[in-house]
Amino acid sequence: MPLLKIDGKEIEIKSGTTVLQAAEANGIEIPYYCYHPALEIVGSCRMCLVQVEGMPKLQVSCNTFVSDVSSDRKVDGKYDMVVHTQNDLVVQERKNILEFLLLNHPLDCSVCDQAGECYLQDYSFKFGNAHSRFDENKRVRPNEFLGSQIVINHNRCIMCSQCVRFTQEISGTSELFVEARGYNSKIAVLEDNPLDNLLAGNVADICPVGALLSTDYIHKNRIWNLKKQPSVCQDCSVGCNVDVFSQTDQILRLTARENLDVNGYFMCDIGRYGFHRYEEIDRVLQPMVRKGDSFVSADWETAIQKTIDLIKKNKSNTAGIVSPFHTNESNFLLGQIFKDVLGSLPPITGEEITYPSGFRISADRSPNTRGMNDICEGIVEDLASKIKTQDIRTLFILDDGVDRKLDDKWKKIIGKMDSVIVLSYAMTDLAKLAHVVLPGHAPLEREGTITNDKGRIQWLRPSLPVKVESKPDWEILMLVRNALDKKTEHFVELGEVMKKMGEKFENYAGITFFKVGNQGYSINGKSS
Amino acid sequence: MNTFKPVLTEHIDQKDCHTLSFYKSIGGYTALEKVLTMNPDHVTQEVKDSNLRGRGGAGFSTGMKWGFIPKDSNKPKYLINNADESEPGTFKDRLLMNKAPHQMLEGMIIAAYAIGCHTSFIYIRGEFYQEYKLLEQTIAEAYDNNILGQNILGSNYSLDVVIHRGAGAYICGEETGLLESLEGKRGWPRIKPPFPAIEGYLQSPTIVNNVETLSCLPHIINRGASWFKSIGPEKGPGPRLFCISGSVNNPGVFEEPMGVSLKDLIFDRAGGIPDDKQLKAVFPGGSSSAILTANEAMDVMMDFEELVEKGSMLGSAGIIVMDETVNMVQACLNIARFYAHESCGQCTPCREGTSWLVMMLTRLINGGGKPGDIDMLFEIADNIGGLIDFSKGSFGKTICPFGEAVAWPVRSFVEKFKGEFMEYLPQEKVVA
Amino acid sequence: MKSNGKPKPRFTFEDPERVEQIFSQYPDKKSATLPLLHLAQSQEGYISNSVIDSIAELVDCHPAVVMDCVSFYTMFYTKPHGRNIIQICQTLSCSLNGADELVDHVTDKYKIKPGETTADDQFTLMKVECLGSCGTAPVVQMNKEYHESLTKQKFDELLAEFE
Repeated sequence: MPLLKIDGKEIEIKSGTTVLQAAEANGIEIPYYCYHPALEIVGSCRMCLVQVEGMPKLQVSCNTFVSDVSSDRKVDGKYDMVVHTQNDLVVQERKNILEFLLLNHPLDCSVCDQAGECYLQDYSFKFGNAHSRFDENKRVRPNEFLGSQIVINHNRCIMCSQCVRFTQEISGTSELFVEARGYNSKIAVLEDNPLDNLLAGNVADICPVGALLSTDYIHKNRIWNLKKQPSVCQDCSVGCNVDVFSQTDQILRLTARENLDVNGYFMCDIGRYGFHRYEEIDRVLQPMVRKGDSFVSADWETAIQKTIDLIKKNKSNTAGIVSPFHTNESNFLLGQIFKDVLGSLPPITGEEITYPSGFRISADRSPNTRGMNDICEGIVEDLASKIKTQDIRTLFILDDGVDRKLDDKWKKIIGKMDSVIVLSYAMTDLAKLAHVVLPGHAPLEREGTITNDKGRIQWLRPSLPVKVESKPDWEILMLVRNALDKKTEHFVELGEVMKKMGEKFENYAGITFFKVGNQGYSINGKSS
Repeated sequence: MNTFKPVLTEHIDQKDCHTLSFYKSIGGYTALEKVLTMNPDHVTQEVKDSNLRGRGGAGFSTGMKWGFIPKDSNKPKYLINNADESEPGTFKDRLLMNKAPHQMLEGMIIAAYAIGCHTSFIYIRGEFYQEYKLLEQTIAEAYDNNILGQNILGSNYSLDVVIHRGAGAYICGEETGLLESLEGKRGWPRIKPPFPAIEGYLQSPTIVNNVETLSCLPHIINRGASWFKSIGPEKGPGPRLFCISGSVNNPGVFEEPMGVSLKDLIFDRAGGIPDDKQLKAVFPGGSSSAILTANEAMDVMMDFEELVEKGSMLGSAGIIVMDETVNMVQACLNIARFYAHESCGQCTPCREGTSWLVMMLTRLINGGGKPGDIDMLFEIADNIGGLIDFSKGSFGKTICPFGEAVAWPVRSFVEKFKGEFMEYLPQEKVVA
Repeated sequence: MKSNGKPKPRFTFEDPERVEQIFSQYPDKKSATLPLLHLAQSQEGYISNSVIDSIAELVDCHPAVVMDCVSFYTMFYTKPHGRNIIQICQTLSCSLNGADELVDHVTDKYKIKPGETTADDQFTLMKVECLGSCGTAPVVQMNKEYHESLTKQKFDELLAEFE
């Protein structure tokens, strides 16, 4: 392994690693704009220049590879490379580059959405000069829409070309290009081919400055007001890692969070903007019990008692309906209660898309089909036939949520039931047919684990505060379980459910939130 | 005093000198015949031994460059003839294409043979339409006479040559910008490594050589490396085409041995300055070289090493002469404007800095000069291209040498004619 | 932003054999981009959006990638221009030898500034950077052809040929 000396620090590093990667891995900050680990190296911003001993020119650290050199070429007899990232020459060079980048910058941080997470702002503060020496007219261009949800502020653009490379290399859609050359260069789209692919939102994420903006978030808030919660997207079975940004009880935006074993650095716009569909829903915030054609609200005790009564009326003819939208823990508990007949409603699907980079949007638009099947044994395939042959009279349903559209066939089946208990966060088509509705948590309020289609268990974390009367789904199921059978153990926290689940299912043995962590845990043994 | 007999341009004044029959009548393609019987490595060795250095501007050893082609690669190898002549003050390759196209083509075939290339391209600047049409004829003649195509001159060696027109971009003369352009993209130079000899055109090993460089090859093969090395200074020998333009009576291309005196070139070959005006300054090696003052110019030999010692470079040997009436601030702006127009826009310093220079110089000329502007001009130039003096800073601030190409001349204007720039600054008020 | 739904006029090369020949010269399709653009421009006079689409299809890439390339080069025009393009070199050697006067001359004569086209579409005037003919400065490229060592009188004679 080559021995690198960087700012006096000795580092043994894998051959072929770049100086920039080596520095980052060892807590040495080298600023950069055009570099992105998922994109081709272009070395054009010049911000990451460092001094390499023995080389006459400063080198871009993003494209300087450390490798073993022959013993006669080692520096001080032992180093394969000696690098300075903080000497006077390098520090001065950063100032110079920043000065160039800021020549035409409008310095409008006070109204810029990027403020607070802007590398131009951060690096200027850390490495730049206090004021501009540019005494000429600034290059001023109007903002333009690049696509229906992406706007470009040309004046803030530093031509790092990450966005162009993104559409060429990651989405493969190539809508963005560099127009003209030199000082007149700018990011552009063709009039009849706007940036409207399903990965478009990522360009706003990767833009290191405030040039590319998502119209969904523009001028909505300031980043420092928002709470950032790492979690997992629930809009398909890939399970992209995300950061959810919220203020009090409102989600403002989702951005992709790096996970090389799942989504790389990106996410799709279905997931990015998906949270909006929970904003205007008919939320159930109290337990509801049917009275004739309508519902009356009830307290939890009454609702649970009513549930028990309904189930007990014909327990052997009751089926539990698990859901690929719910966590492993909720599905596990439901599976434990209704061992005889378990079913699920038809899958919710969309178009399966795989991009040239391998980034995937799966046809299965539910987040946890794999986990549901892992955790619930003997889910009947043809639930409708089973209902007929087994003379099922009662259903306890974990509701898929607002994405579930009931067709007439299923409306009819459910309408024929003696009793239907639905655990749901909203008054869905399904909940409307229920005898009891138990108010659970909405997707972005839930906590637990879900397993993506490649067998990676991931930590779903609550991104919004709990609504008044609702309870976590697993707690509701615990209440039902304990009420049905007083002898069953009572779990007071999710960890205990997970432990029990692990005892039953080998693949899930030893799973804890700590073990799953921010990057997930692969049940195929390929853990990170 | 001048016993040198032109090599590359010996026959350019003769009728039909561009035709195959003429070229054959003066011994054309005999070098190729000889080469086709040689081991390719020996051809490379001969060129290495000749100390031939590239005539495009960088002056890198041609034989050494060929030697970088990986021997064990199964990929096709490409030879590109860089005919994208665009350096202000330089117009020699155009002459060679017009007057001695077969000499150039023979050189190409020799180079291609040496590196094991079977498809070679001539990247000719787009504006050279007439030369493009002429080269089409040249190549057709060569195919008709078994000089190109399958089994050249009865040998086992085959080669196709394709002419590829540029479309108006100075930066495509830079070899990696050229490769991008050849691949059908914008001419944004590539970051190195990898170098073209390892991964060039379509990721295959590629050699890019200049027209004049290639034109030297038949002569090296015919007369031997030691003959070539005997012309001019040993470290950078050979005949060289010097282009002289600007304020001279007799501008043109003059073939002289390397190391000829600049004074002779200007006052003898180019006939001195019109109306007996005084010499003021000279670009010795194209507009990318630092200018020399009249005093410096009178005392310099046109040789790679000596010009570097004088703080400039031989570059493309494009000499632009400026007489005493030339306004140095205007001339500096003219050059800066050229570079701002041609900056590809990829790297930060060059994209932003070249236009900043133009804006500042324009402001100066329009009477808006401010105290501190002169220092700023120095600093901007240095920040784009760095200093020539390593002890004071670094260069290599941009992906390609364009940064230096604008910084060095601009800096030299301001440094050597500071007084003229000062005249554009507000006069200090005398405090009573 | 969105296309207005009108079908675009489709561009086709008049000489498909030449197109085939161009492709046969390169090991990959994309390398044929520049020659195809030259060919299309000589046919159409400029690079229209339909030229871009057509070439993108031929070389098997996205139209935006072709546009990225086109917009980089000064010789490709993305808008129509006059029947004759007067390109006057303005770089140092030409400038020192009277190029600026030639520009003024055209401006006086035809009332067009650099970048403009005469009302009758006969001439477009452009100031260009170094044409690589410094030894015969000042030089003017009239359409494809170079005219060297120009004086005002020789320039007038040249212009007259195109009027």
